[in-house]
Amino acid sequence: MTSSFSFNPLPLPAELDSLRQEVRSFLGEASKDWSGWKIGHSWTGFDKDFSLEVGRRGWIGMTWPEAYGGHGRSGLERYVVVEEMLAAGAPLGAHWFGDRQSGPLLLRLGTEKQRREFIPRIVRGEASFCIGLSEPDSGSDLASIRSRAERVQGGWRLEGRKVWTTNAHKCDFMIGLFRSKGTAKEDRHKGLSQFLIDLRTSGIEIRPIHDLTGEAHFNEVVFDNVFVPDDMIIGEEGNGWSQATAELAFERSQPDRYMSCFPLLPMTIDRLRSTDTRDRLARQRIGGAIAETVVLREMSLSILGQLESGHSPANEAALVKDLGNSHEQRIPELVRELIDSPACIVESDTFNELQGYLTQTVPTFSLRGGTREILRGIIAKGLGLR
Amino acid sequence: MSEDMNISMMLSEQISRLLTKHVNRDAWIRAEEGQLDSDLWQEIENQGLTLALVGEELGGAGLGWADIEPSVRLCGQHAAPLPIVETMLGNWILSQAGLESVAGPIAVSSSLFQINENGCLSGQDEQVSWLHQSASVVLIAINSHGERFVCRVDSPFNGRKVATYDRQPCARLELDGVKPNAHAEERGKLANLGLMPYMAALRSIQIAGAMNHILGLCIEYANTRVQFGRPIGKFQAIQHMIADLSGQAAACQVAGLYAARQIDNGHPEYGAAIAKTQTSMSATRAATIAHQVFGAIGVTDEHSLHYYTRRLWQWRADAGSDYWWADYLGEKALDKPGADLWNSVVSRSVTA
Repeated sequence: MTSSFSFNPLPLPAELDSLRQEVRSFLGEASKDWSGWKIGHSWTGFDKDFSLEVGRRGWIGMTWPEAYGGHGRSGLERYVVVEEMLAAGAPLGAHWFGDRQSGPLLLRLGTEKQRREFIPRIVRGEASFCIGLSEPDSGSDLASIRSRAERVQGGWRLEGRKVWTTNAHKCDFMIGLFRSKGTAKEDRHKGLSQFLIDLRTSGIEIRPIHDLTGEAHFNEVVFDNVFVPDDMIIGEEGNGWSQATAELAFERSQPDRYMSCFPLLPMTIDRLRSTDTRDRLARQRIGGAIAETVVLREMSLSILGQLESGHSPANEAALVKDLGNSHEQRIPELVRELIDSPACIVESDTFNELQGYLTQTVPTFSLRGGTREILRGIIAKGLGLR
Repeated sequence: MSEDMNISMMLSEQISRLLTKHVNRDAWIRAEEGQLDSDLWQEIENQGLTLALVGEELGGAGLGWADIEPSVRLCGQHAAPLPIVETMLGNWILSQAGLESVAGPIAVSSSLFQINENGCLSGQDEQVSWLHQSASVVLIAINSHGERFVCRVDSPFNGRKVATYDRQPCARLELDGVKPNAHAEERGKLANLGLMPYMAALRSIQIAGAMNHILGLCIEYANTRVQFGRPIGKFQAIQHMIADLSGQAAACQVAGLYAARQIDNGHPEYGAAIAKTQTSMSATRAATIAHQVFGAIGVTDEHSLHYYTRRLWQWRADAGSDYWWADYLGEKALDKPGADLWNSVVSRSVTA
């Protein structure tokens, strides 16, 4: 029958259970001392030791070819590991961007040398990557970026600035988008290139941007006459726009787009049980959140199945992110409705800290990785509007 | 592709052809006047849809619930004004209890009735669709030992008519000491909720179909209706509403199929709870958006939109609303420590 979108189900093989149990028992031990604040950060939380341990266990670069140090496992196995990590609110930030984005990009478009040099280090959890897209004057309008790459002897000189770069101050490398030809006015989507930049190179200054939670997890990265050798351009010169947008499309439907607030739900259930609050409202709100979670998970799995079989359901992925972010954003409010807790952050109280952190952070969920408005524009176009 | 999937595809293609040809505004109006289109019914029966879930040994096609999902979705997509899904469910549960299926439309009650030692039924259901147009009613009755029986009774044609939002024929069913024409104990498929989860699964799939149709209507209208010198679909405000609608439609498509797969997988209640919570919730949002896109023309009698939005308002309430099923899910979740929640989500994955 005709439908506007494709969402064939992807059933999970029962043999994945042992892997799931393995991850779960590791997390059970590792999470003992995690504060609510730490759990709230989840995949943006930077914990190098944790990432190194995850790497040792073979849970980074799981699907990548063994020739580059990957583990040659299935996308489903990776999915199981990732969703278990997110359900626990594990601090994945030191390896997340490399595992989700930079590694796959290098495997798809990188040179043999780039793969040999970087993939094994990502797999071990040693090399942390950040993504340099936004600029002070270019947010959603990404093609308008003004940071430039100029051809010089043996490579490129970078000039300009990137903002909102998550964890740049702790990362080793950035994959940054720069204009290498023409201007945004004339060429728009042409003339942009992606570079792999060692953040220790001279001329790079990383300044923290303090956010409303009082932290500074994102940064402004200033490039002042920064040299990047020729062999650190990724893919094709001038093709950076389609490379970067394809990269964004791939990451849109993963569990990090609907599970960012999940850890709050089990704690809410325990709170409600401890005060014997199981009234109709509590049951309905909890039940509604569970139904949404299960449906989003089915949608996300379906997209994984389509990607694995060589399709690129970009519209469906945008749709899952839009739905997923809206779901995530409702959770702290749902909890506030059910549990009348004061607006203060009590350090020793995991639930209270997590609620406090997420309440202040959820506005960014429909900004990062493509704003709701950009996504809805993509979806509308896919539907034949415009 | 498995043989069942092949049969399922061929079946849905035939159903699509039939419904496209015969279901239109006139057909909806005749149904609202209480008429059942017996010619179309015969053609649907000839395709084998009403016996699709019945095992081959009992004369059916022996398809699973996931296999018939596309055909059920089509019934929603076309707002088919016939008790097709009710009859599929009725024949299926008869066959599950080893009873013979019947020809012609079947009305189904999702309420639980009582059956006494003499084999007489009592109980009532305030709302049974197509009761007066069907020769038989299929229902579940429970005896004093808690055993469940699948029962088929002759339709009592005297039940008071009930006015519903979708204006499909509907009547109250009351049985007081009536002997079923056929009954047999059913041990496998029915838990405390009787037929309710199965009906909820069907309604969820129908909602997905109706919503997909509404989405198509909205896209077409937005691309053709001109205001301020351009099609309204050029306005971001409209685009974003329709994008939102498409998200709801997609979620419902996934949820409806999920319910069907969970029946095949042995978790009908859980699947129905997830699906009906999602689809009924989305139905509300979808109807709101669609009427906003269409403006005043969408609420006029001559426009086809209301045949769909009234069904959404009907189906979101049938066999348990979103609030009812969310309550069911939430109660189960609150029965166990929070740490069990995640496992309850993943352990009920539909496995390969």
